[in-house]
Amino acid sequence: MFDVMVILPLAATGAGAILIMLVAAFETFRREGISILGMGLFAFAFFIQLTVDNSGDIYPFAEVFNGMLVANTFTKVAGLIILACGFFSALAAQTYFTQNKGFVLEFYCMLLFAAFGMLLLTMVAELITLFIALEIMSLAVYTLVGYDRHSVVRAEAVLKYLMLGAFAGAFYVMGAVLVYAGTGSTSFAAIGAVVADSGYLSNPALVGGSFLILFAFLFKAAAFPFHAWVIDVYDGAPLPVTAFMATAVKTSIFAVLANFLLINPEVHQGWVTFLFYLSILTMFAGNLIAIGQQNLKRMLAASGIVHTGYLLIALVALGSERFSGGAILFYLAAYGVATLGLFVALSYLSGQDERRVSFDDFRGLAKVRPYSAACIAIFLLSMAGIPPTAGFMGKFYIIAGAFQAGHAVLAVLGIVSSILSLWYYLRLIIVMYFREPEQRFEVAELTLAPLGTIVLAVCVFAISFYPVVL
Amino acid sequence: MEGNLSSLGFIPLLPLAGALVLGLMHLATCRGRLISERIYALVGCIGPILSFLLAVNVFFALQALPAQSRFLSHQAFTWFSVGELTISMGFLADPLSVLMLLFVTLVGSLIHVYSIGYMAGDPAFGKFFSYLNLFLGSMLILVLGDGPLVMFVGWEGVGLCSYLLISYYSEDRGNVVAGNKAFIVNRIGDFGFVLGMSFLFWGIGAEGFDYLSLKANAHLLAPTLGITVCLLLFVGATGKSAQIPLYVWLPDAMAGPTPVSALIHAATMVTAGVYMVARFSFLYAQVEVAGLVVAWIGIMTALLGAIFGMFQNDIKKILAYSTVSQLGYMFAGVGVAAYSAGIFHVFTHAFFKALLFLGAGSVILALHHRQDIWQMGGLKNKLPITYWTMLIGALALAGCPPFSGFFSKDEILYSALAGGHTGIWAIGVLVAGMTAYYTFRLIFVVFHGQPRDREVYDHAHESPKVMTLPLIVLAVGALFAGFLNLPAIFGGHQQVSHWLAPSLTEVHPHGSMATEVLAIGGSVLAFVVGISIAYRRFAGGAEQPVFTGFRKFAYHKFYVDELYDTVLVRPYRFVGQAVQRVIEPYVTDGPVRAAAWLYRMAGLAFKVIQVGYVRVYAIYMVIGLSVMSLVLSQSLNF
Repeated sequence: MFDVMVILPLAATGAGAILIMLVAAFETFRREGISILGMGLFAFAFFIQLTVDNSGDIYPFAEVFNGMLVANTFTKVAGLIILACGFFSALAAQTYFTQNKGFVLEFYCMLLFAAFGMLLLTMVAELITLFIALEIMSLAVYTLVGYDRHSVVRAEAVLKYLMLGAFAGAFYVMGAVLVYAGTGSTSFAAIGAVVADSGYLSNPALVGGSFLILFAFLFKAAAFPFHAWVIDVYDGAPLPVTAFMATAVKTSIFAVLANFLLINPEVHQGWVTFLFYLSILTMFAGNLIAIGQQNLKRMLAASGIVHTGYLLIALVALGSERFSGGAILFYLAAYGVATLGLFVALSYLSGQDERRVSFDDFRGLAKVRPYSAACIAIFLLSMAGIPPTAGFMGKFYIIAGAFQAGHAVLAVLGIVSSILSLWYYLRLIIVMYFREPEQRFEVAELTLAPLGTIVLAVCVFAISFYPVVL
Repeated sequence: MEGNLSSLGFIPLLPLAGALVLGLMHLATCRGRLISERIYALVGCIGPILSFLLAVNVFFALQALPAQSRFLSHQAFTWFSVGELTISMGFLADPLSVLMLLFVTLVGSLIHVYSIGYMAGDPAFGKFFSYLNLFLGSMLILVLGDGPLVMFVGWEGVGLCSYLLISYYSEDRGNVVAGNKAFIVNRIGDFGFVLGMSFLFWGIGAEGFDYLSLKANAHLLAPTLGITVCLLLFVGATGKSAQIPLYVWLPDAMAGPTPVSALIHAATMVTAGVYMVARFSFLYAQVEVAGLVVAWIGIMTALLGAIFGMFQNDIKKILAYSTVSQLGYMFAGVGVAAYSAGIFHVFTHAFFKALLFLGAGSVILALHHRQDIWQMGGLKNKLPITYWTMLIGALALAGCPPFSGFFSKDEILYSALAGGHTGIWAIGVLVAGMTAYYTFRLIFVVFHGQPRDREVYDHAHESPKVMTLPLIVLAVGALFAGFLNLPAIFGGHQQVSHWLAPSLTEVHPHGSMATEVLAIGGSVLAFVVGISIAYRRFAGGAEQPVFTGFRKFAYHKFYVDELYDTVLVRPYRFVGQAVQRVIEPYVTDGPVRAAAWLYRMAGLAFKVIQVGYVRVYAIYMVIGLSVMSLVLSQSLNF
């Protein structure tokens, strides 16, 4: 019975996706109805996930699945973040498509399939299942980016994403093969046992294989130098999809990455040096890309790279004493709330056919729409890490963790990078508050997004008071 | 010994919740759609009134306990926890805080009701009530806090609200300047308070930083540290309670709406300093020197305030200086270790001073916002309720027996005399005479004689019931509050002093019958002399005098504001400008701008590699992979 509870959220999203696919075939449901249904399904799965009490490692249906899946507090919280991201992306989509073309009823179906893949990804404990979950997620996201075939931008974005994604996926499979060759198993537990037995660095196939697997994850997480696709793809995708990719995909990737690195402390130890340099390069490359952008979507994509850098810092410090995956999830939640907030706000402010997406388009927003501007300012300040927002607490935990793990250099560079990031976050605030408005920011009325924005702005502060207890 | 009472937490919470709700209502509707004033008024008044009822409830709960164990506390939540030290948001109800609680909530509720009438038609009606509720909530935290830190939360909260409300009519630059002045001067005082609190913590705070623990450990405090702490805390009190040398903000604070002057700058907030000294009576009782400093500064402030009050023309300024002067009395009381007398004067003063201010507000409203007493006159018939209630307030302030002010002031003067502080007593009696003089100067000029401005007089009308009702309630208080602490010589039992005794560390001086008679005789004589001079000069309808010589000097408040401006403000501003003109552009800005330029250029350079071709991106990935593989193989030596 308990096993059923653990995978119930997974089942709910999967079944929900199929349900929407079926329902979409009939004329009964129109866009509004499907939107509500999609959001309802996300909310439903979220509350099931919330009620599940899984402390300690649980292997649901161990005889049937042979220990392919594992559930614990870490996966529970990661799942909660993913489902919340899904909910708010669906909310953004509901508003977005009242003033943008290119809606198909199956949109919410793909959103739920992607969430299904992500939930699975957080729970996997085996390399082949991991690949399947990764591909379920990726295929759904490819579709979400490019289902509007008439739009050249979308087509370009999905092409880039698909080709590079397939490229990275191939490396993953190759890596999995090598790991199997080196250890004779694809199960995390068995690999961990082999490492504990005969050591890690003395096993070339294992090292090479995990190197390729790591590469695939770093590509998905957009770490330097595998970050280049992210700007174009985020820019080309519809706004709600960009929001979903920036938050939910990142959450699931970092969850599985942390799980993989923690197979055995030696595996983690083997990659610390790499992650150390990659995190620094990623943070600074992201900052440098971000300051040159005029388009908000591209700026947010670049800032997403910077946040990947911070999360890599957290991975470096992973497993050291008194520091656990809790900080990673806290950061993901804080980053997710702020990013989603911005995208939800953009989903109604951007107007017909994404007319307003550059910095200059938001001139004087504070005078015309003071509450929206205030919420956006809160999100930006949270991303920049200004107290008392959730973003500040997230950075605080990560940087404190880096100090405790003995990486003072990393901690200091993290702080420097967060100062540099103020450049482009404050730029939008300055534009909103200190320029004269030139337009009236007319938006579609009677949509949920403004309400969602305010809820998320409250969450920015609420989360910051929630202590890390993982 | 201690009981727990969870309703304590609700007392400050209710007005705070009201402030939040009102604030949101106001923000949500500030552009266009207006909510009716009735709804704002209802939401605004319900919190204070419920708090008052709860306070009464707490009073009876406390009274049911035996005298020496009258403590009720409630720990709402853990505020923070550092190492072994845990500070919780705790509330403590003991006789002292409950007395404060009762009159703060009562007077607060009445002034809320009065404001419905006074602020009617104000475009930001909801904002005003939100601030007023926020103030009351902060004040209640200040009073109920179970330790210096929680008190400080309320202390800062009331300071903030005071600032917001002084600058309430912010279209006028002068009001904003007055608000700034109040805030800055208060911050100077707060500096002393924080420092004193820190020293106190350093000394004996490790064992628990709430009043009960501090009181138990007070004897461990080294004498020099004790004096330092007491004096620094008193610096805080001089800021908040407008004593020499930081009294200058209070008269300017009259720029705020009149109910604010009544509630914040007369009845409640400004007495916080006195309350604080009484709260720390266990410290002040240990170091007599600190008490003497407090007493002398207090009585000198009383004198100064009375001198200034005699030569003002603005009805609110007169009352403001009178407040400064009365606060001086209170400090003289707590300074000579007569804590219950000082607190009793706080209590009675709240009634009659709030009454006088609200009456003044009624007059100002009747005359369409004229405040110069030399434009008034003969208003007795036009504003009968205002006149009679203000007369009661004036008699109480002037110290006429048997009005409340007489008993409380007499108690302080008697304590000073019996304690051997003859100088303080003598000045106190002099000030009592001056008080009677300036109070009745106001009454005679405003209400008696002939109207000085016929047109204004003809348009004057009595205020609505919602304003006169609080006046009447307060007048009853001003009339009878004194009987609560009737001294033995009049056949009383000093209930208030006995009630307060468990909270205070106080030694009652045992003066002889002769001392008591001397004290009472002095007070009564001073009152009679003061009022008769005022009667002779003003009752018949005097014209505005032209001040010369000393009077002009006093009218200009001894040019203290100008002195502060020259000695402190201008040099400080000069230094600031020097920094701005020289150091900022050349020393700090230069490198910063250069760094920013470099960063920007690097960003532009980096933009180049973002070419947009998939093949190029794939090449980046391959290059990255290759470099990483190379490093890996080098480091592992397979």
